[in-house]
Amino acid sequence: MDFYQGNVLRIDMSTCTAKVEPLNMDWARLYVGGKGLMLRYLWDLTEAGMDPWSPENPLIVAPGPFAGTNVSTCSRVVLGGKSPANGTILDSYCGGSFGSILKFAGYDLLIVQGCAAELTAVFIKDDKVEFVPAAKYAGMLTAELEESLRADFDPHMTSLSIGPAGEHKLLWACVSNDQYHKAGRGGTGALMGSKNLKAIAVAGTGRVTVGDARAFLEDIERIDTDYILTDTNYWVHEEGTPVLVDVTDGAGCQPTRNYASGTFAGASHINSEAFKKIRVKKRACYQCTLGCRNFHRINDTEGEGPEYETIALCGSNVGVDDIDALMQFNHLCDEYGLDTISTGNVLGLAMDLTEKGIHDFGLHFGDLEAYLKIPEQLALRTGVGAELAMGSRALAAKYGHPELGMQVKGLEAPGYDPRGSFGMSIAYATSDRGACHMRSFPIGVEVVEGSMPADTLDESKAEFNVTFQNHYAFKFCGIWCDFWAIDYEQMGMLMKHLWKREVTEAEMTQIGERVWNLGRLFNLREGYTRADDVIPEVWLEKPFTDGASAGKVIGTARFNEVLDQYYALRGWDKDGVPTEAKLTELGIDVRL
Amino acid sequence: MPHVMISSKKCTGCHMCELGCSAWHEGGFQPSRARLFADVNPTTAVIKGHSCLQTGCAKCQEACPNDAIVTRQITVTPAGTFAGKEKVGESVTGVVLVVDEEKCTNCGDCYDVCPYGVIHEHPERKVAYKCDLCDGDPQCIAFCQNQYVLAVDLKIDKADRALTVDA
Repeated sequence: MDFYQGNVLRIDMSTCTAKVEPLNMDWARLYVGGKGLMLRYLWDLTEAGMDPWSPENPLIVAPGPFAGTNVSTCSRVVLGGKSPANGTILDSYCGGSFGSILKFAGYDLLIVQGCAAELTAVFIKDDKVEFVPAAKYAGMLTAELEESLRADFDPHMTSLSIGPAGEHKLLWACVSNDQYHKAGRGGTGALMGSKNLKAIAVAGTGRVTVGDARAFLEDIERIDTDYILTDTNYWVHEEGTPVLVDVTDGAGCQPTRNYASGTFAGASHINSEAFKKIRVKKRACYQCTLGCRNFHRINDTEGEGPEYETIALCGSNVGVDDIDALMQFNHLCDEYGLDTISTGNVLGLAMDLTEKGIHDFGLHFGDLEAYLKIPEQLALRTGVGAELAMGSRALAAKYGHPELGMQVKGLEAPGYDPRGSFGMSIAYATSDRGACHMRSFPIGVEVVEGSMPADTLDESKAEFNVTFQNHYAFKFCGIWCDFWAIDYEQMGMLMKHLWKREVTEAEMTQIGERVWNLGRLFNLREGYTRADDVIPEVWLEKPFTDGASAGKVIGTARFNEVLDQYYALRGWDKDGVPTEAKLTELGIDVRL
Repeated sequence: MPHVMISSKKCTGCHMCELGCSAWHEGGFQPSRARLFADVNPTTAVIKGHSCLQTGCAKCQEACPNDAIVTRQITVTPAGTFAGKEKVGESVTGVVLVVDEEKCTNCGDCYDVCPYGVIHEHPERKVAYKCDLCDGDPQCIAFCQNQYVLAVDLKIDKADRALTVDA
């Protein structure tokens, strides 16, 4: 079979056994791979209302069909399940090399269920699967762990692993691949930790076929030249995501001191220019020509990143403009296995509660000494970390100020305040995993391009979000990276190799819409309703007093009106439930 | 004589060279069978390139008891660009070391002496296999980040010009 290996590796941690099942090719046709295929398997493997901490909650690892070829950016994998952080779909991506190597080992999908009696590592080399007691790896930080796994298992292995944060089941513990690649959001690391699974290491020597390989190479060479190595995409190599600091700060939507402002006085100390001065090298993910990974060195700290989200949430949002401290903090989060978006939110909230005199956590905006202790404290749940580990929603509620916790559906918000980019309000409210900028990104047109106004919210924004979400839902089946601004025409060129026929934009859009609706059904099945499609009130009603977006108010009534329009455009009823007609049209074979 | 080299300094560790190489030669993407490789430590981000220097090294040829490593004339015209293009033009003509599969007995002497670990037993054909510069269109160069990075580049070794061509 071309592109697919036809195999699903099922791992049962409770019995420490593994078996191979054939890939469901009907689903592969309907959902392609990545996000779509993960969701279809997730639906099938879970009962409504399943406790996300139960052994039955599957950890599904799904690359796309192009992983293990030389289609740029497609080494990505999605880690799925039911989120232990908030009970929505867990749908978290990382680059690196795991997707490609898993394919070389012979698998399209990895499904892990059950819970081991003791901390365990799984070694997969082609058709051999070994379960290894992992007591010696307990508490190990990412770099040391990966070096140990290479020494103990295979020098050419790659791995998905958790740090101490995952072992302690922190709600926003992430999973690491190749040290710097994190499936960050939604508690992937907590899910692995709940299975007593420290690491999955994989080495593969097999082959991914594509049909006529030389014809394929010729076409990919053309696509690389014409559509990847272009100015549209190459900013990620030349600049990388720190370039967004000046963009969001200029537009008044950079989270600053727990979202009290959209502009940060210290922005110029942590922007792209500042990072370029300490840049030491560039690296790429497996099978990627773009090479967006920036390594920096300052004093004793060298490593990749930080990326924009970390700069925004663990920099401006906590009042830190010290580039050295920010580098150290980012490094500690990588080592302990923490999602930096949630970390920066929770920390900003605790600083806000302290400075407002609500509760003294001993944390203050810009206080570097306490700041640098936080990653370890959160991961190990020691000191102030024990309480902060409950997350923004619970922490803000506990101290009687739910309005200060910047989250949607329990997932802490990324680095784009909707007050400077109104379309983001609908993007966050309707995202399938809570506050997320990777499902729809109106800020791209509202601020970066300026082709839509940033300070209006109307039906055109509802429509933009629907279109973008469908596009990305399909793109994440591929799985193409966010950093390749790939359109349907280009995806069609690659889909033509996969399906051996012309694939239309309408077909691809429909797959995206199918995937989006299946995710919606899952969240509805797990108890989410329209009442949860809301965003923090301050974003809707409380204008900033400084920065480019000062005085701008979205308004709750306007937001609700556009949410209605969004549902209508989606073919959902007024409660946000997909209609029978819509599900039939999309060929979705499951029902609530 | 023309050969490819991976610059450890410029390489970003994307492995595209191995992917292009294996697909061109093996009919599918299989980096374990690539004829060159970048040894990347993802944790430290340290990279070491391994590729055949052809006649500039020739240890395999010297070690072969059956004269199965032979020189073949080749004109290399890399896709995109390469560092010496302005000096030497679009193409470079020279010789490349290839395995004469009729003569190769898979004795393994060459595997042991190769300083770069880029000549191996082919798992199915049971003979040695190595870099042959893809009949003049090296896929490693074609799929490197090319004009931006030039990590995998075509090199020409002056010292080898005296060598004769047998095939």
